[in-house]
Amino acid sequence: MGLKEFSREKLSRFDGKEGRPAYIAYKGKVYDVSNSFLWMGGRHQALHQAGEDLSDLLDTAPHGEDLLERVPVVGKLID
Amino acid sequence: MARVAREMVERSGVNVDQLLELLVKNAAAELTTFYYYTILRVNLIGIEGEGIKEIAETARIEDRNHFEALVPRIYELGGKLPQDMKEFHDMSACPPANLPKNPNDAQGLLKVLVEAERCAVRGYTQICNMTAGKDHRTYDLVLAILNEEIEHESWFSEFLGEGPSGHFLRRGETSPFVSKFIK
Repeated sequence: MGLKEFSREKLSRFDGKEGRPAYIAYKGKVYDVSNSFLWMGGRHQALHQAGEDLSDLLDTAPHGEDLLERVPVVGKLID
Repeated sequence: MARVAREMVERSGVNVDQLLELLVKNAAAELTTFYYYTILRVNLIGIEGEGIKEIAETARIEDRNHFEALVPRIYELGGKLPQDMKEFHDMSACPPANLPKNPNDAQGLLKVLVEAERCAVRGYTQICNMTAGKDHRTYDLVLAILNEEIEHESWFSEFLGEGPSGHFLRRGETSPFVSKFIK
């Protein structure tokens, strides 16, 4: 079965607030970070919000792509 | 609050509210790590565990020192700690350093310890990057903490067989970098 497709508008609904799932996009893939302690409430380290495409922000983060391998991929981002 | 000190930081372009949130989250990480390391330390037993106990204890005490050192800066900048301890725990910048399912697994314990230190190294690197050349006092404090967190990581990493740490363990006093902030 193919991955679910997410537009940016659809992705924005998965912001982790008020019990909603927390999804983020990175380089075309959509990751489910709902169960990550570091994304509780859809916020990450006071700087990032779930429901967004973070592709351009990882370069400035103090970690690499490898940490994304710890969370499941649930879809792909379409423009 | 140190009004002018905060104003200087704001004028340098640092988002002080964001910085405060990060400082509080990292203070939470330090205090909760102190707690979880207490449990890890008492479970470091037997031939394998006993050799790790000393560095786990040093890291535990130094993490508590980091909490003590961060708190005054939080209040100077106009921030505060949450009243609710549970809320404080849940806002930690790092996940709980839980005891592995098999508490007799020294390698598993070491992995928990090294992951906790790596999370701290990432967090403090980020705050150093935010404050370098702008908020001198926070930078000085956080750099001191970062120095100790990097040493903790290297100790546990050495025991995991990832290569030499490059230095000796503490001889005597703890917190060689942070102690100036808690005197």
